[in-house]
Amino acid sequence: MTMPDNPLLSIEGLTVSYGAVEAVRGIDLTVRRGEIVTLLGANGAGKSSTLNALVGLAPRKAKRMEFAGTDLTGLPPETIVRRGMTLVPEGRRVFSSLTVEENLMLGGAKHAARGNPAQVKADMLERFPILAERLHQKAGSLSGGEQQMLAIGRALMSSPDLLLLDEPSLGLAPQVVDRIFDLIGNLRDRGLTILLVEQNVAQSLEIADRGYVLANGRIELQGSAEALRSSPEIQDAYLGA
Amino acid sequence: MKKSKLLMLSTAFVALASAPLMAEDLVIGLATAQTGGLAPYDQPNLAGLQMKIEEINAAGGIAGKFPIKTIIKDTRSDSAQTAMVAQELVDAGAQLIITPCDADPSIAAGMITQGAGIPAISFCATTPTLPLAVGDYMFSNYPADNVQAAMLAAHAIEAGYKTAYILTSPDTAYTLKLPQYFGQVFTAKGGSVLGEGTFTMGQQDFGAEVTKIAAMDPKPDVIMTSAYEPDFPAFVRQLRGAGVTTPILGSDGIDSPTTFGLGDLVEGVVFSTAGHPTAGSPLEAFNAKWTEKTGAAPDTIYIANGYDLGNIIEAAVTAADSLDPAAIREGIANLENLQGVTGPITYKGTNGMPLRSVSLVRIKAGDRDLVAQGQPDPADIPAP
Amino acid sequence: MDIFLQQLLNALSLGGTYALLALGLAVVFSIIGLINFAHGELMTVTGYAVCFALIWGLPFPLAVIAGLAVAMTAAFLMERVAFRPVRGASGTTLLLTSFAVSAILRVLFQNLISARPIPVAIPASLSGVVTIGPLHLGMIQLISIIVTLAMLLGLNLFLHRTMAGRAMRAAAEDFAVLRLMGLRANSVVATAFAISGLLAGVAGVLWVAQRGSVDPLMGALPVLKAFIAAIIGGLGSLSGAVAGGFLLGFIEVILQAYLPESLLPYRDAFAILLVITVLLFRPQGLLARKTLVKL
Ligand SMILES: Nc1ncnc2c1ncn2[C@@H]1O[C@H](COP(=O)(O)OP(=O)(O)OP(=O)(O)O)[C@@H](O)[C@H]1O
Ligand SMILES: [Mg+2]
Repeated sequence: MTMPDNPLLSIEGLTVSYGAVEAVRGIDLTVRRGEIVTLLGANGAGKSSTLNALVGLAPRKAKRMEFAGTDLTGLPPETIVRRGMTLVPEGRRVFSSLTVEENLMLGGAKHAARGNPAQVKADMLERFPILAERLHQKAGSLSGGEQQMLAIGRALMSSPDLLLLDEPSLGLAPQVVDRIFDLIGNLRDRGLTILLVEQNVAQSLEIADRGYVLANGRIELQGSAEALRSSPEIQDAYLGA
Repeated sequence: MKKSKLLMLSTAFVALASAPLMAEDLVIGLATAQTGGLAPYDQPNLAGLQMKIEEINAAGGIAGKFPIKTIIKDTRSDSAQTAMVAQELVDAGAQLIITPCDADPSIAAGMITQGAGIPAISFCATTPTLPLAVGDYMFSNYPADNVQAAMLAAHAIEAGYKTAYILTSPDTAYTLKLPQYFGQVFTAKGGSVLGEGTFTMGQQDFGAEVTKIAAMDPKPDVIMTSAYEPDFPAFVRQLRGAGVTTPILGSDGIDSPTTFGLGDLVEGVVFSTAGHPTAGSPLEAFNAKWTEKTGAAPDTIYIANGYDLGNIIEAAVTAADSLDPAAIREGIANLENLQGVTGPITYKGTNGMPLRSVSLVRIKAGDRDLVAQGQPDPADIPAP
Repeated sequence: MDIFLQQLLNALSLGGTYALLALGLAVVFSIIGLINFAHGELMTVTGYAVCFALIWGLPFPLAVIAGLAVAMTAAFLMERVAFRPVRGASGTTLLLTSFAVSAILRVLFQNLISARPIPVAIPASLSGVVTIGPLHLGMIQLISIIVTLAMLLGLNLFLHRTMAGRAMRAAAEDFAVLRLMGLRANSVVATAFAISGLLAGVAGVLWVAQRGSVDPLMGALPVLKAFIAAIIGGLGSLSGAVAGGFLLGFIEVILQAYLPESLLPYRDAFAILLVITVLLFRPQGLLARKTLVKL
């Protein structure tokens, strides 16, 4: 059995290369149960590559890669997701020609073992009343914010233990961004562990417990959210102090 | 099935099975199709030819002194490949080359063999212009399109048909020219052609064409076509399906088990073919011999046709009494009234397309009923 | 007018067969980006299966069911043996692989079964005529219209009412994300091939019923037509494939019916010209799908 303070996710020496391009060059990463950990960095730093590699969608190599006590090496995405770690990909990527309901159904299709899908769906619709209203509408017809809710909702249908979020605030209006961050905090309060990739450094560090800063595929800085917020590098580069 | 496997092997291990070349071997190069669209015609011809060659070699060779050696190379039914293979066979020392059952690749191969001064015979190309396109070293081994057409037209007039409709496909010379030759002879003999429809080979859709025929007023007395599988079965099915009962004339392409499996749809259809096994005929005897040897009755006349090619080669080399290609060519060109299993064969006086007997057969209750046999009046045969 | 109606029916029947074939190509292309030129050989396999089942003594309906089962199995095996090892490779690699599969199968048919067509005993009841007012329809034509519509309806229900169907639609849009739903890539692809095999099987049975024989190369032309139809419709779009199939059928029949006799030999050239015109105005095809994001 995993000890309570054993990390939920623990990665050592992760590299991701696309042919000759080395996007991630050997990083260590730990996420403990109940935490929000944020992964920050400029465009092209390798954030998405890291998340995609974790769920098996990007070509990866690692010295060690463990989730909830099991080795992730060589597992395909579908198996990793069934073990309880899932990703809300960058750009939302809802199935736009399918209805909102169908998107949710697919999210919960293979996870009867992890929770009661009907129950999960009822919870979901309560949490996202907008989705309940739009249940039979094509996902492609939703606004950006609604699509992001749907993408998160769809991922939650698998009742994950660890949720990877790739730039959920991307391209959304400020009020909507606030709602998304509220939601993330809310999910953590209900026991979900979250690894959050963001460009919105200020807001991320506000809700996160810890953070990593990635540059050119390497971890440049890490620490508690508190410490990062006050570090001069972050102040200069991101917070424009 | 066993036979085909053997063929495949023989292609793969070209001539490995036989003894090394002897000075007095007649080397026949086969630039024919084991695969692709011509394989259904070349394979049975080859099987028949090989039977004859075995018999010849068992008797010590042609005239007891020229054993036959074959080099078989697959042309994949591709004209360019056929030319290449023909060159390889010429280089390998073939004194006679056999080309595929179609004019186009035969012409491609002929360009090589004509230049090399080596006689070439197509298994069963029916286009009468084939030797004209290549030269005096090119022959075919089948009743030509214009000969078949003349026989069919004579029959049409005799049957009392006054008007005809022809259905052609521009996709091959055979499907285009044969019905047109028919129309020419039919018109010359006092009939009239009411129209010409076309189809795309392999398309199997005759709905539009059949609707036009059904709407014709007046209706033709007879429909003539050289469509064969898969087009012919689809055509009759759709024609009869549209309620059109006009009689149909076809050519040798439909001489196949599929046609006879169509039941009532083809009752009464008359077609030309290269032979008919009347009681006591050499063809009947050949069929019996083949059945005994392979365990299955021949399913196409091409087997006997290939066997007859063996007869032609035997007679030509015997007459030449030499393995010199030019002498063999002379031998073929002067053959007259050679008795083959499909009937008499004459090259003398022709440009290389033989005069051969054509049989007209009527389908009756799934069986063959001989309507006429022989050669048409030479005056009736349209110029190629 | 009657003649025109009759020609419309003819177009419906031909277009329907093209639609089934194009749909078979599109189902696979939409998911793994492969244009399966061996689709025609699935028709051929079906034909041989029906043929041998009949020779073996099975009644026609059972022989057809056997043929369809063999088609689905063959499609499934094709994926396992030939296409899975190159999944995710470039479009060219996939295309060449499918050409190779097609060529190998043809040579096997020619040398292991027969280079010559083998007759298939189609029951005489299928040679009948159905007369509706002034219109005549061959039994097989009628059956092919009915079967095509039933298949389209059935496939539509499958895609919209079952989880496997929804997964297929989602996979066509974004295969990577579908895997994030925990759905196995291999089973979605296998389902696509099985459906494509079924469509090829149904088209194969209809095709063989028209011609009364099977031969090793019989799949070549239909797959070409299907390819053209799928391109007109917009490769990868299922409804586009259906629309493309019907449009191609209509173009061919109407040209055959109304071109003057002297131009008839050029019918196929005119048909291709019309297709090119369609593509000039809609380069992506009639119902093109948005380009998809793939990881
Ligand atoms: N599929 C791919 N093939 C090749 N190179 C890729 C691929 N995906 C990403 N890259 C490259 O890898 C590097 C890291 O990209 P990644 O998307 O991981 O960065 P990111 O930090 O998520 O950036 P952004 O903030 O813009 O989303 C970039 O140089 C990018 O061009
Ligand atoms: Mg990114």
